[in-house]
Amino acid sequence: MRVVWLELRDFRSYDAVSLEPGPGVNVFIGDNGAGKTNLLEAIGYLSALRSFRGAPDAALIRDGASGAVIRGGIERASGEVRVEIEIPAEGRRRILVNGKRPRRHGDVAAGIPMVAFLPDDLDLVKRGPAQRRDYLDDLGARLSPSVGANLVEFEKALRQRNTLLRREGPAADLLALEAWDERVATAGARVVEDRLDLIEQLRPVLGAAHSRAGGGSGIEVRYASAWAGAGVVAGGANRRLPALTDSLREALSARRVRDLEQRTTTAGPHRDEPIVELDGRSSRSQASQGEQRTIALSLRLAAYDLLAAHHDTAPVLLLDDVLSELDPTRAAAVLELLPRGQVFVTTARDDDVAAVGWRWTRSGHDASWQSDDAGGTG
Amino acid sequence: MFEPPVQRLIDELARLPGIGRKSAQRLAFHLLHVEEADAVRLGDAIVAMRREVRLCIRCFNVTADEQCSICRDTRRDPSVVCVVERAQDIPVLERTQEFAGRYHVLGGAISPIEGIGPDQLRMQELVRRMDDEGIEEVIAATNPTVEGDTTALYLARLLKPLGVRVTRLASGLPVGGDLDYADEITLGRALAGRKEL
Repeated sequence: MRVVWLELRDFRSYDAVSLEPGPGVNVFIGDNGAGKTNLLEAIGYLSALRSFRGAPDAALIRDGASGAVIRGGIERASGEVRVEIEIPAEGRRRILVNGKRPRRHGDVAAGIPMVAFLPDDLDLVKRGPAQRRDYLDDLGARLSPSVGANLVEFEKALRQRNTLLRREGPAADLLALEAWDERVATAGARVVEDRLDLIEQLRPVLGAAHSRAGGGSGIEVRYASAWAGAGVVAGGANRRLPALTDSLREALSARRVRDLEQRTTTAGPHRDEPIVELDGRSSRSQASQGEQRTIALSLRLAAYDLLAAHHDTAPVLLLDDVLSELDPTRAAAVLELLPRGQVFVTTARDDDVAAVGWRWTRSGHDASWQSDDAGGTG
Repeated sequence: MFEPPVQRLIDELARLPGIGRKSAQRLAFHLLHVEEADAVRLGDAIVAMRREVRLCIRCFNVTADEQCSICRDTRRDPSVVCVVERAQDIPVLERTQEFAGRYHVLGGAISPIEGIGPDQLRMQELVRRMDDEGIEEVIAATNPTVEGDTTALYLARLLKPLGVRVTRLASGLPVGGDLDYADEITLGRALAGRKEL
């Protein structure tokens, strides 16, 4: 799996850029504002179809331009995939995969494995449950298109129910609300089922990644839910779905008065909390900054390992200015991955990337990205 | 900007669903270059459809008469009603030749985001038909979308207390196709809804 070519037009700071990255490690060297992260963001967009910085599409368009274009060719075992994305300043974006509109956007993320390590990954551990839910949901959708489809369906049903509550409040049509309860319950149960399945797959992989990153053996992931009791969550994979659906339906109905007053859905998968524990302590509130850093890194390493095993090929690895922040042990755990597949690294200094690879700097009269190591010996 | 008569047509065409500025321009210039009689025939067809067609007083299908041809057909089973979102869903179901009951067009699906609740759909008209026509089964043939599903669930809650059986179209695999061509979602749902043989 590798990106063979990339073309950008009016994307962020670029008016036009085209690039043929090497098959191994590609190091982009430049000062702040040189546009290194913008490149990685564009590569990430080819697969996730959104910015890994969480930026809205409008922010990706170069100031004053009528729209941004990202095009790329990705080589897979089954042949080259060409992904083309047009983001107009007005109107809907257009996505073409091999010249055709993909049936579902989730199919793209599930078909082109990529993992990004970002400077603010510490938020995965430090901040609220939303970061960890997104981590699970994003990784799940990359492992199976049905996970992505289940999420889209749940979010749609939840948005509809919340709109009904917000607009009508206590005056809402009760039969309609009950119908939304049922639809939210079936869709929501599938989402939680997917998350629990993923946590089971993640456990051994995360344990191993945590040791590699210099952490101990006591890492554990738990799923805390105010509406699904521990018994339901622990149920066997096949019996769990009906129990989850029943629990969520009951919770929605039990909280009806509160939901009508607060005009929003106060319980459900969107309020659940995946918890990473270290020796039985919550890593969010009771771990040191160093321990949190190791856990955050392990979560990314584990995502890489799961995707690599699932696709039987190394995912494309994006490292945005993360190596310089890591101590030698943690950096070594990341550097281990470099020889396995294609990697894009950004760094401000030439000397802190130990890997040998294609070194890209901006030069020439048009300040385009040029590589000085066409051999790509990395 | 084009000459006003041309621009006016482009603007009107661009208001149609699925037609953007470019397509509207292409259609307008196409109509400018065809035989005048062809263009006039299109205009007449639009006017005639709007003047002559109305909604069936029973099921809200489109018809040129007071009642649609299906409601007038005495061989149809009056005890089963198939509920659809839009009138254009009826010919699709008719082509199966598997359904001999009548229809009811809701006019959409429940969608709070679009401001559509049960009151914006022909729900009360449907409830009235239960008694009037002695309906025993209602088939919810709304789309397999989040909104269509919820509308079906609403129908069940609305009509079951009246002693009416409410059923939902199954979702599954396309017949005659290969299993490996089915998308994972459809296949997954088909697996979940499997039946004992």
